[in-house]
Amino acid sequence: MKPSPFTYHAPESIAEATALLAELGDDAKALAGGQSLVPMLSLRLAAFEHLVDLNRVAGLNAIERVNGHLRLGATVRQATAEHSAEVKSSVPLLARALPHIGHFQIRNRGTVGGSIAHADPASELPAVALALDAVIEAAGPGGTRRIAASDFFVSTWETALNDGEILSAVEFPVWSGRCGFAVEELTRRHGDFAIVGTAVGVQVDGDAVTKATIALFGVGATPLRASEAEAALMAGADVAEVARAATAGLTPSDDVHASGAYRTQVAAVMVRRALTKAIQEARA
Amino acid sequence: MAATTGPNTVSAGRYVGQAVKRLEDPRLLSGHGRYVDDVQLPGMLHVAFVRSSVARGTIVSIDTAAALALPGVHAVYTGADLNPRVGMFWHTMMGPPPELGGQTPYAPLTPLAGDDVRFVGDPIAVVIADNRYIAEDAADLVEVEIDAQQAIVGWETALDTDQRVHPGMASNVGQEMPATEVPEVEALFAGAPHVFTRRFAQCRATNVPMEPRGIIVHFDQYAGDMQIWAATQSASEWKATASRLTGVAEHRVKVVANDVGGGFGQKMMMTRDEAAVVMAAHLFGEAPIKWTEDRRESLMTANQGREEICDVTFAVTDDGVLLGAKVVFWEDIGAYPSAASSIAGMAGAVFPGPYKFPVVLPSGSTLYTNTVGKAAYRGPWMIETVAREQMMDHIAYELGIDPIEIRRRNVIHADDLPYTTCTTMVYESVTPSETMEQALEMLDVAAFRAMQAEAREQGRLLGMGVSIYIEPSAVAFGILSSDQAIMRMDNSGKVIVAMSTGNHGQSLETTIPQIVAEHLGCNIEDVLLVQGNTESSPTGPGTGGSRSAVVAGGAAMTAALKLKDKIVQIAAHMLEASPDDMEVNESVVSVKGTPAKALPFAMIAPIAYQMPEMLPQGMEMGLEVTARFQPAGQYTWSNATHVCTVEIDPETGMTKILRYIVSEDCGRMVNPMVVEGQIAGGVVQGIGGVLFENMIYDDDGNPLCTTFLDYLIPTAPEVPDIEVGHIETLAPGLTGFKGMGEGGAIAAPPCVANAIHDALRHLGIHPTTFPLGPSQVLQLLNDAKG
Ligand SMILES: Cc1cc2nc3c(=O)[nH]c(=O)nc-3n(C[C@H](O)[C@H](O)[C@H](O)COP(=O)(O)OP(=O)(O)OC[C@H]3O[C@@H](n4cnc5c(N)ncnc54)[C@H](O)[C@@H]3O)c2cc1C
Repeated sequence: MKPSPFTYHAPESIAEATALLAELGDDAKALAGGQSLVPMLSLRLAAFEHLVDLNRVAGLNAIERVNGHLRLGATVRQATAEHSAEVKSSVPLLARALPHIGHFQIRNRGTVGGSIAHADPASELPAVALALDAVIEAAGPGGTRRIAASDFFVSTWETALNDGEILSAVEFPVWSGRCGFAVEELTRRHGDFAIVGTAVGVQVDGDAVTKATIALFGVGATPLRASEAEAALMAGADVAEVARAATAGLTPSDDVHASGAYRTQVAAVMVRRALTKAIQEARA
Repeated sequence: MAATTGPNTVSAGRYVGQAVKRLEDPRLLSGHGRYVDDVQLPGMLHVAFVRSSVARGTIVSIDTAAALALPGVHAVYTGADLNPRVGMFWHTMMGPPPELGGQTPYAPLTPLAGDDVRFVGDPIAVVIADNRYIAEDAADLVEVEIDAQQAIVGWETALDTDQRVHPGMASNVGQEMPATEVPEVEALFAGAPHVFTRRFAQCRATNVPMEPRGIIVHFDQYAGDMQIWAATQSASEWKATASRLTGVAEHRVKVVANDVGGGFGQKMMMTRDEAAVVMAAHLFGEAPIKWTEDRRESLMTANQGREEICDVTFAVTDDGVLLGAKVVFWEDIGAYPSAASSIAGMAGAVFPGPYKFPVVLPSGSTLYTNTVGKAAYRGPWMIETVAREQMMDHIAYELGIDPIEIRRRNVIHADDLPYTTCTTMVYESVTPSETMEQALEMLDVAAFRAMQAEAREQGRLLGMGVSIYIEPSAVAFGILSSDQAIMRMDNSGKVIVAMSTGNHGQSLETTIPQIVAEHLGCNIEDVLLVQGNTESSPTGPGTGGSRSAVVAGGAAMTAALKLKDKIVQIAAHMLEASPDDMEVNESVVSVKGTPAKALPFAMIAPIAYQMPEMLPQGMEMGLEVTARFQPAGQYTWSNATHVCTVEIDPETGMTKILRYIVSEDCGRMVNPMVVEGQIAGGVVQGIGGVLFENMIYDDDGNPLCTTFLDYLIPTAPEVPDIEVGHIETLAPGLTGFKGMGEGGAIAAPPCVANAIHDALRHLGIHPTTFPLGPSQVLQLLNDAKG
């Protein structure tokens, strides 16, 4: 479990980092918290001749409010976000998702941007980004562009980032009104990746649900939004029915922990439980 | 961990019976243990293995040129280099193979693959390089072409196929214990009021020592000496095996085991990978070489356990009284099991366990498959308890009797003792009935049943399980029959006791000094256990099989009494008193009733070494004794009852353990804290075997659990507090100690399974197969709904 040889680069600016990545192409990989990349290198499941460490890049680790969004720089540690009062009050769904990531030691190193850029389909943060219609800022040698979360996740460990681009920030919309949020997931042990999970948010007005979002993770190659189920919820369907709608037609794959059929069945349970909690919270 | 104490508590001594804090902990818990990988030697080189990526196939070619050309690589050895140099490859504990006059049917063992590969991970070549990074880079550069064949996976496939895991063998059966046809028994079954049959299966688990395997070997070809540092449960076994492998005379081989981070049976006998490092070092001859198994190698290639099936047929009366049992064991032993022999003999012998079976007829077969070999794993025979204790519940439900009540009708009581089982095992001091009652009282069965009924009204699923077992500790045969203590008091009155033990988590650095200090009459900090060094420790089997308290403890106690006797004689001579009138306390010998007439050990010791004129006439100088101890019986029986309660989430199939209770009797406890620690560790492994751990192979023999993402062991949040009750009835013989290192892992799986069964049985669900993880339980619930 020793990685194959690589050259280590520690750029200090976005320009330097993206120039390096563009120049080195496929032989290079960005390194953030290292909590996914380093194990893959050590297991020799991946090998790169160059690692471009983003940890020293200036301007990537701020948490700030910008036009109705909360903007988190790419290298903000998961633990920092988890304990941020700003995150807790502005983007409660993110705050609730973070403690589900592994163990605190992992969150101390792992970054918010790294988790989203890594795009593991069983990860919480990509689902939160998708649920909240977050905007992902990509920085490349030619400048920055903004990508909607719904366009960002392409497949397992695959995103819309181009060669030479890094994820520089994620902007999460801040919800207002009477809202409730919940993350429900099934893990076999504390700290494991979820077998399946969901991140949901609702906004209510009296008895009516006026806004709803349901994202699922661990059920396909990318996190998935259950748009029809969201519409059904806003149209007044009960949560059990919504949960069934949210998971109808899913085809998750089997692995050593559970079959695809198990995931589908339990995903509905998670959605129902999450929506029940979120609605309760919104109405409270 | 809450502890209650049972009624028969024997009085604790100054040390024995006390929860003395572990003497090894300051070193280990502060991260200053010295495991194999911590050993750094001048000029040391590092080993990585080239391993097979297919489960079965013929090796067409191996090209090592590119690897050898990599700077920093010193050697690449293949099977062709090492295998022909092997003298003999067998284990002292198992005895020689038939062709050398023994009886153990070993798998055809070579350190590296020869013409073919037989499981994924089969070692094909050894790379020696400046460091592990380069060694792994070079291993990647070795080109191996294999003509792959369909793997033989699963014991039933192995039984049916005409293909062989080991080419040239007549069948894939490793060992067979044929069923005996006894007409009386057939008649008994034919005439029995009820006969029930079930097949119980447990899934493959791996031992997961915190420190994986590891070995450093230095063959100094100029001196002709070999020195080994190893993660082993038995330095003696490594010494003998290395000598047989290489032909280096055994007295020229030195083995050192410093701290060893667990083994659970996996490190009892030297495995092929370690043998390959020994052979490579012997051929290389220049510098020490180190192999530290990494976690993926450990999960993929270190031997594994538990893949066993047990077919049981019970004959019972209407009242649930046991009339007899037929038991068939099927074991998947992989390609290269480390303990070649089947567990069927042992499992059959102890199958009756805590119950009065009039007859038990065991039989069994082991099957080779193209998977990792079978290891001994904490209670290697425990499928018998797994099957028997689940079967008791299955029968109870068939007959409409409460599982507790059916146990009460069959369990051995105090007034049955001494009791000889139908398999000729003799119990003199066991308490299965008493531990059961104590554990049930700790639970408060009535309160739980009320809670269960109330929960069921709300659609919640609660259940309770019971399992009882009798543990055959300190198995005494062959090299396992005895242990020795070499004890010497030095000039300053401190004591060193050298033993063959291989402490790897059993707390022997504390418990052996407790025993010595108790019986010698000194302070515990004046006693040091020296072990794991073949130059200073005696020959012996090491630590395993729940033997060390009983056998090593017996030797330590005997030696301490001998040494005390000599010290007292010297003191009595000097104080002009009779040895019979002397007493020893806190390292001071005094005349009873006259505390002023006293001599401390620190004064007696120099006299023994330096002043022959002051010793009693004819007494040999010095304060050195040896004692070899053989336990009274072939087994020293301990026993326990486990009780647990669970709640199952009906929508996800997740099981949560609510309470876990153990009532145990291990005779006189050396250290209750250590006893409870051993129980907790075993119970956690047992819980793992039902709810979490499952080493899966696909149909092509690929292991699917190669990291801790896939092979799940319970972690602290998944483990309930383990409540322990103690009953102490002394074992026959000098010490009163009974071994108890494996029991937690033996009784926990059926206990958890029975609790799950209890939670689900009203739905018509009667599980028989592990694992019972969330997906399996939800499947059972779905099936029951139809
Ligand atoms: C034991 C364990 C348990 C875990 N459990 C969970 C869990 O339950 N849920 C979960 O979501 N995650 C889990 N993780 C993963 C963890 O959250 C990782 O930290 C995260 O997925 C990756 O973030 P990182 O900062 O560590 O990125 P790295 O490991 O450094 O990088 C991961 C990948 O993303 C790329 N990358 C990183 N940052 C950027 C960027 N700014 N721009 C472009 N590309 C980038 C890298 O090139 C690499 O390909 C676990 C990890 C471990 C070790």
